[in-house]
Amino acid sequence: MLARRVLQFLIVFASGLIFLMILKYSLTLSDYVIPSPLDIWHTGKDILTVYFFDTLNTLSVAIIGQIISVFLAFSVGIGARKSTFAGSFIKAAAYNIQAYPIVAVAPIIFILLGDGFITRLIIAAMICYFPLLLSIIGIMSEPVTDIEHFYNVTSRMRWQLEVKIRAFENMHKLITVISGSTTLAMAGTIVAEFIAADRGIGHSIRIALYQSDLSRILTALFLIGIFISVYQGMLEWAGERIGNRWHVSN
Amino acid sequence: MILSLTNLTFQYPDTEIPVFRTLNFSLDSPGFHALFGASGVGKTSFARIVAGELTGFSGQLYIKDKSIVLYSYNQERLPGWGTIRHFIDSTTPSSMIEMKKQLIDIFGLSDCINLRFSQLSLGQKNRVNLIRYLLQEFDLLIMDESLANVDERLRETIILKIKESFPDRYFLYISHNLMEITKFSDTILIFRDIEKIPQTLTLKGLDIASREMPDRDRLETTVLEVMNAC
Amino acid sequence: MGRRENRKQVACFKLTGTGIKMTQYLKWLFFWGMVFATITVDIPLGNAQEDINYRLKWLFNTSVAGDLYALDMGYFKKEGLSVAVKAGSPERDAIRELELGQAQFGVASADQVILARSKGSPVIVIAQLFQKNPLQWIYRAEPGTLSNLSDLKGKTIGITYGGNDETIMRALLKKGGIPEKDVTLFSVRYDYTPFYRKRVDIWPVYINSQGIILNDKLTENGEKTGFFDPSSYGVRFVANSVVTSLKTLRERPAMVQSFIKALLEGWKESLAPENKQKTLSVLKKYDRDTPTDIREKQLAITRTLIIPEGDAHLGYIDREAWRQTEQIMLEQGLIPKPVSVTDILFQDGFGPTQKKQD
Repeated sequence: MLARRVLQFLIVFASGLIFLMILKYSLTLSDYVIPSPLDIWHTGKDILTVYFFDTLNTLSVAIIGQIISVFLAFSVGIGARKSTFAGSFIKAAAYNIQAYPIVAVAPIIFILLGDGFITRLIIAAMICYFPLLLSIIGIMSEPVTDIEHFYNVTSRMRWQLEVKIRAFENMHKLITVISGSTTLAMAGTIVAEFIAADRGIGHSIRIALYQSDLSRILTALFLIGIFISVYQGMLEWAGERIGNRWHVSN
Repeated sequence: MILSLTNLTFQYPDTEIPVFRTLNFSLDSPGFHALFGASGVGKTSFARIVAGELTGFSGQLYIKDKSIVLYSYNQERLPGWGTIRHFIDSTTPSSMIEMKKQLIDIFGLSDCINLRFSQLSLGQKNRVNLIRYLLQEFDLLIMDESLANVDERLRETIILKIKESFPDRYFLYISHNLMEITKFSDTILIFRDIEKIPQTLTLKGLDIASREMPDRDRLETTVLEVMNAC
Repeated sequence: MGRRENRKQVACFKLTGTGIKMTQYLKWLFFWGMVFATITVDIPLGNAQEDINYRLKWLFNTSVAGDLYALDMGYFKKEGLSVAVKAGSPERDAIRELELGQAQFGVASADQVILARSKGSPVIVIAQLFQKNPLQWIYRAEPGTLSNLSDLKGKTIGITYGGNDETIMRALLKKGGIPEKDVTLFSVRYDYTPFYRKRVDIWPVYINSQGIILNDKLTENGEKTGFFDPSSYGVRFVANSVVTSLKTLRERPAMVQSFIKALLEGWKESLAPENKQKTLSVLKKYDRDTPTDIREKQLAITRTLIIPEGDAHLGYIDREAWRQTEQIMLEQGLIPKPVSVTDILFQDGFGPTQKKQD
C-alpha cells in the first residue's frame, strides 16, 4: 500500500515534469521561466538535505496539529452527538469558520502569538479540525439502530458503548477521514509557514518564490508529495491493522 | 391481563392511508401468542407501538403497571469487536446463567459461541439475538420474525423450549409461517387489509406444548380458519 | 437538516478501495493542472495581440503614481496604444509574463532582471524608474543607535529572507566588516508587531510607503525615528525598472518607443508639483485604502526617489549602480557568473522622447 502510494506519486510527478519540459522546449522558454532538467537536478541535489529536514519539520508540526485536531474533533463530536442544540450550533460554527480563508485569519494569530511553533500548530490544526469535526459529528450522531436497539431497550447503553459501536461500524469512514485530513494539516502548516513562520518547507518555498527559483519550488513539491504519500500510506496501513484487529468487515 | 388496546389507529406522518384503524386486542393470559398477516399490513408497527418505540397513535393502549415489554427483530446485530460469548455473557444477569447454558445448547449454538457475529449464518444470527433477549428481565417479549432462516425442526424445538422455560411470560410472535403459528400459538391476531372491516380478527390456535402430533382434523380446520380470516 | 448535512459531509470522505486511488489520482491531476494552468494560462498561440499588458511589481499604490497617471490621463492612448496596467505580487513575475507573451512590458527589480538574464531570459531594461532604492530600514532614533555601519553590531535586524532587502543587508554587513554572528537576523513578514514590541531594532520598509505609516505611528507615541539608508554607505542596489523582451524591442521598436514616451511623460507630469492634486485624485481612484494625508506624504517622498539628480533624465539607467548590483549578487552567490550587465540595459536610449530634469 505504502509503496503503491509512493509509486503513484512518482508517476504523477514525473508526468508533470515531462509536461513542463514539453512546454519549455516547444515554446523555447528560458531557464528562468521553466528550469532545465539539469538545473532541476543540480538544485535538487544541492538543496535536498536542507529541504528534507524542512519538510520533516513541517510534517512534524502537521502531525501534531492533526493529532490535536483528531482528539478535539472526537471530544466535541462525541459531546455534541446527542444534543440537538449543541450539535447544530457546533456544526453551524464549524461551517462558518471553515468558510474563512486561513490566509485572512492567520495574520491575527501571528499578531497574537508570534511566528513560532504554536502559531504554525494552531493554523495546521484549524485547517484540518473543522472538516474532521463535521465528519465526526456526522458519524457520531448517526445511530446504528440494529446494534444499539438491544442495549437501549434493556437500559444497558452507556455513552462509551454507543461511541464504540458507532466508531466501529464507521471504521473505514473514520480512517479515510483521518487519512484525508493529513493533506489538510500539511497544507495548513505550509500556508502558515508561507505567511509568517521562519521555519519549515512553506518558509523555504516563499524564499524560493522571492528568488524566482522554480527548481527549488519543484524540489519542495517533490518532497512534500513524498512525505504526504508516505504518511498517508502509513496511516492507512495502521488503520488496516486496527481494522483487522477489530475484525472490521469490508 | 398485561396488554389491552382499544380503538387503536395509527398513521405514519406524510402518508394518506392509516396503517390500521380502530384496532382492538388484549392479552389476557401468559403464553405464546402470534401476529399474522401479509407483509405491510402493520404487524411491526403494532409491535413497536406496544413496545413503546412508536408514538403518534390514537386510541387507548394499556400495559399492566411496571410490566417490561421488549421488542426484538431479526435484523439486529451484535457489535463486531468481540465473540458471541463475550456479548452474551456481558448482558446475562447472574440469575440466568444456568438458563443461558441450556438455551445455547438447545438453540444449537454451542459450536459457534466463540465466533464473531459477522461469521455466523443468518439463522445463527437470529438465534443468538433471540437468546440474549430471552435472558433479560421481561414480561412480554415481541419476537418479530426472530426465527427466520432457522430450519423448521429447530424452530419447533426452540418454540417448545421457550414455552416450557417461560410459562409465566407473554410472547407475541410475528411470523409468516402459517402452520407454525397455528400449531404453537394460543391467541392469533390476524391483520388484514385496511379496506376490510374489521381490519383485525382474533382466533385461537392449538397452543401445542410438546412434539406430539396434533389432531389432524383440528389442525386443518384451524389453518383454514386463519387462511380465510386473512 | 443537521443530519442531512452530516451525511453529506461524511459522504465527502466515503472513499474506499478503488475510490481512494481514483481520488488520489484526481487530486494530483488537479494539483498539476493548477500548476500548469498558472504557468501556461493565456499563452498566445496566434499573432501578438494589439492590446498591451503592463505588469507592475506590486499592488497599486503611490510607488506607481506615474504608471497610473499615464493610464488615467490618456498618455498611452495619445500614442495610439491600448495599455492595461496590471497590479503585481510576488507570484506575478513580470519577466516570466514577458517571456510567455502574457505581457509586453513590466516592472522588475534589478536583482530579478539580473537573475533572469543569468538564466537565459531575453529581458531588457528600457528605463530605470527609481533612481534611488526606496528600501531602507526604520529604527528608533535613540542616541548612538545607528550613525555608522559598525553600529549594526549586536542589533536585531529585520530582513525578508529571499527578498532583496536580505541581499542589501548582507552587502552592508560585508561592507562594514561585520560577521553575521555579530547580528541577529529576524525573518520579517507583513506584521510589524515585533518592531512595535522592540523585539527587532531595525525594520525594512519602503520609505515611500510603509515607512511613512510606521514613522507616523511611532511619532504619535512620542518616539523619534530614523531611516537607515544603504546608499549612504555606498550600497546602491537598483530597485524597479521598466522591462520588455528583446523580441518586442526588435520587432516593434516604434511601439516600445511610444510606450516609454507615454510612460515617462506620465511620470513626469504626475510628479510635477502643480499636478499634485490631479495625481492624488488618480491614486485615490486606484488605491482607496490609503488615507489622503499619508498618500500626500508618500507622493512627496516618491518624487525624490524618481527624479534623478543633476542632468539625468527621468528613467535614466544608472549603469554604475547596475554594475554594483550585479557585483553584489555575484559575491553572494545569487548568480553563478557575471551576466554582462550592460547587455541587459537598453543602449540606444530614448533621448528624443525624454526631457532632462533641471
